Amino acid sequence: MEEAILRIRNLRTYFFTRRGVVRAVDGIDFDLLKSECLCLVGESGCGKTVTALSILGLIDSPPGRIVGGEIYYNNLNLLECPPDQLRRIRGKEIAMVFQDAQSALNPVFTIGNQIVEQVKLHLGATTREAKEKALSLLEEVGIPTPEKAATYYPHQLSGGMRQRAMIAMSLSCDPQILIADEPTTAVDVTVKAQILDIFNQLKNTRQMSLLFITHELGIVSEIGDRILVMYGGRVAEAATVSELLNNPKHPYTASLIRCLPDITQVKDRLETIPGTVPSLIDPPGGCLFHPRCDKALAICREETPPPFTIAEGHTVFCHLYSHLER
Amino acid sequence: MKKTWLRDYIIKRLLYAIFIAWAVLTITFVLLRVGPTSPADKYLANLTARGQDAAQVVAAIEARYGVDIPIYEQYINYIVNLGRGDWGWSLSTSMPVMELIKTHWIYSFQLIFLSSIFAAILGILIGIYSAVRQYSKTDYAATFFSFIGISIPNFWLGVMLILLFSVKLGLFKVYYDTGIPLLSLANLQQLILPVITLGTGMLAGYTRYTRSAMLDNLRKEFVRTARAKGLPERTVIGKHVFRNAILPLITIIMFDLGSIVFGGAYLTEIVFGIPGLGQISFNAIFADDYAVVVAVTVISAFLILMINLITDITYTYLDPRIRYD
Amino acid sequence: MTNRLKNIKPIAQKVGSTKNRIFITVIALIGITVLLDIFVVEKIFNPLTYLYIALGTLLVRYGIPLLYTSRRLIQYYWQRASKNRLAVSGLAFILFLILLAFIGPLFTADPTAVNFEEKNLPPLGFTLEESVYDLKTGQFITNTITGVGEHPLGTDDKGRDLLAMIVSGARVSLQVGLFATGIAIALGTLIGVTAAYLGGKMDNILMRFTDIMMTFPFFLLLVFIVFIFGPNLALIVIVIGLTGWTGTARLIRSETLSLRTREFIMASKALGASDRRIILSHLIPNVISLIIVIATLSIPGVILAEAALSFIGLGDPNVASWGMILKAGQQNLDTTWWVAVAPGVMLFLTVLGFNFLGDGLRDAFDPRSNV
Repeated sequence: MEEAILRIRNLRTYFFTRRGVVRAVDGIDFDLLKSECLCLVGESGCGKTVTALSILGLIDSPPGRIVGGEIYYNNLNLLECPPDQLRRIRGKEIAMVFQDAQSALNPVFTIGNQIVEQVKLHLGATTREAKEKALSLLEEVGIPTPEKAATYYPHQLSGGMRQRAMIAMSLSCDPQILIADEPTTAVDVTVKAQILDIFNQLKNTRQMSLLFITHELGIVSEIGDRILVMYGGRVAEAATVSELLNNPKHPYTASLIRCLPDITQVKDRLETIPGTVPSLIDPPGGCLFHPRCDKALAICREETPPPFTIAEGHTVFCHLYSHLER
Repeated sequence: MKKTWLRDYIIKRLLYAIFIAWAVLTITFVLLRVGPTSPADKYLANLTARGQDAAQVVAAIEARYGVDIPIYEQYINYIVNLGRGDWGWSLSTSMPVMELIKTHWIYSFQLIFLSSIFAAILGILIGIYSAVRQYSKTDYAATFFSFIGISIPNFWLGVMLILLFSVKLGLFKVYYDTGIPLLSLANLQQLILPVITLGTGMLAGYTRYTRSAMLDNLRKEFVRTARAKGLPERTVIGKHVFRNAILPLITIIMFDLGSIVFGGAYLTEIVFGIPGLGQISFNAIFADDYAVVVAVTVISAFLILMINLITDITYTYLDPRIRYD
Repeated sequence: MTNRLKNIKPIAQKVGSTKNRIFITVIALIGITVLLDIFVVEKIFNPLTYLYIALGTLLVRYGIPLLYTSRRLIQYYWQRASKNRLAVSGLAFILFLILLAFIGPLFTADPTAVNFEEKNLPPLGFTLEESVYDLKTGQFITNTITGVGEHPLGTDDKGRDLLAMIVSGARVSLQVGLFATGIAIALGTLIGVTAAYLGGKMDNILMRFTDIMMTFPFFLLLVFIVFIFGPNLALIVIVIGLTGWTGTARLIRSETLSLRTREFIMASKALGASDRRIILSHLIPNVISLIIVIATLSIPGVILAEAALSFIGLGDPNVASWGMILKAGQQNLDTTWWVAVAPGVMLFLTVLGFNFLGDGLRDAFDPRSNV
């Protein structure tokens, strides 16, 4: 089995606001293996982005704070690192691509400049070397005229090109882990397909782990190796993509899959999951999904479900499977 | 590709500036003409006399009081003379106005220049610090003091400073001594109080504007990207955020210049007795010396025009989002 | 129409027409009084009083119903604004100042009363040593003068009570602040809204004109005009108003422009609203909060402008303005220094108060700021 390059244990990130403590991430465990693509899936507000930001230490510190847990990157606990060391890892070994390239890129610098800056910082390259690297990166992500594109400002590029530029920038120091936070959400459908192609291509050509955050199950099936379903700041289920999509065990996962419109079926109404996402300030006791679960047991109201192993590599956090091993 | 449109824009802007200059002159002329007739005629007679014995010309005009010199002729004389650098004759000081201005502008310049540098550098630094450490004690203190700074009437501040440091403590002279050479330490010393007077209001303003511009940009997404790239915090703030914040800052500073700085300098000169353009205009008012007052007003308008022009072009050049293809 | 509407409509109409009738009657009365004043009797009222009466009537006729219909909104904004302690203290000071201006003269001495016996008195609690050359003995005698309770702030070199002068100065500053700002805001709003709404050529012309006026430095232009036309309080007020509108025009214009393209305006149009309705019910209410903030923040500038003019000697010589007192103080800085401190402190606190209030109001009106 492949080694884990990132191990997260009992991560808890809370936001301390005037209205109360928001438990954005409330005790999640998972491993990211080398060269695999792990998809983090869930509705808006379930804690996917906060998890990613916690890994990189980018949580805005006045309201937010990582209150507990460990994040091991190759046996180094990132949460106990001195800030300088963490900063050196950021962008060099663990990089991140954001959702909206238009606002994520600095509008007053050319994209070539923004890539060169990162290369020079982490790899100590000269300007010429950095420029060459930038051009090769732009070419790798499929931008047609790299020399010209590098002189453009972000607003001069189309949406798809901008996203590619941001991906190129994140790859500039050949990171071990690339975290992509919903990179296809803010673009239209044709561009979505192109971006996915790029990620697939990167998977094949680079020995890089990819933590891909999305809320669309369709994308997961195209790019993911394993999938982690999150709900209310906690993990609901984790498995390989094919196992999860064919054999979902957690009621939430099963509902999500059921809600996907099927082009072969004729229906009057689309399926939904009744109810709304739980408040993270005042969460319901026990399993967070129990108010909306049609299979809820009495224990679900009282206790948070521990993980149960369904099969090799398939874990589910649900009391329905308490007869199984942990 | 960038060069051509920038050059075209500069040309357009220059032409517009010339138009405004003409409009300024015309409005000044109209105001003069609309005012009580006798002194206005005296002034215009000044121009037409061009250095001749003023008393004789005035007498001649007064003799002709009933006769109307065609207004457009006066106007054309006015514009032509102003354009040629002949700004009339100062009755109170018995020299051409141009001469008067040439000898006195340097005092205004040194005051405004020093105050601006002081206020700009300090203001921007404090503003950045205040924004980065928002809600800290330093931030609250800086914000509070900038409120005070923009609220203090600067002429009163000048008087109070004189009262405290010159009258009571005797540290500085009460009035500006022109005997001291300009490029000397002693001159710098006697400029300390005036610069503080004029600079405080500017400082407070710059602090507030910088702080607000920085705060606006600190919340933007590209800041998070810059941090995710592993850039040290000082680069994130000093390069990425600041470069974005400086754009609106330039506009605001330019906006302020006309209303606050020139008026403030005028008053500061009067309070401290610095013989700059403000002071000579002030003296001219009480000597009924119209030519000087007009000249100073028009000059300051032209200066503001130039500053606006330069700032406008600089801003257009610096912001890559503006293109006039 | 339901039964309730059927009953209310005629009543509403009657109330409306009664309001109008009263309003017209009052205006007519004012008009007659003015004519009588000019042609028949001498000075029934001070010209300024006419202005106040007219303003008051307008406020009652248009302002009060407006305030009544938007009382919940006002409550909401007041709640937000009152959380800002600085703003509230600023407001408190302003109210104190207004009170001082109105009833102060009843309690203080006559500011113009010259009394050489009591000249050069320091404020209460201060003692001053003074060397006076005594003609009889031909030597310098040192006297100690102490402040007295009758003149709590001291007197100037002509024996005029400083407190009384400050109080009358307050009246001047407040009046100037009110009227000059009113003119400037009205002019600026008119130009700004017209330019933004009409667009095209009109916008171009108006903005060119604004550019030109902005090129003149405000204070120097003020000095220039007052110099030409002579120092007269009414003139000064009008001139400040006529020269200080440019900033407002720019701000209002840009706000109106951005409002025009907002989606709620397009939605109104799609629902069939007429231009007039859009302007009155949608554009103007959104701009009013901006106008209020601009006005509050403009008043200090106006008051300072008038004070500065008086300070350099271009103020109305018949009026006791704070700037004028400051000038007197500055000229005798080595002897009666307190005369320079008091008006400056008042000016400072007044400006500070309006700045605090304006800033607080701006935060309260801005939906994005969390108060």
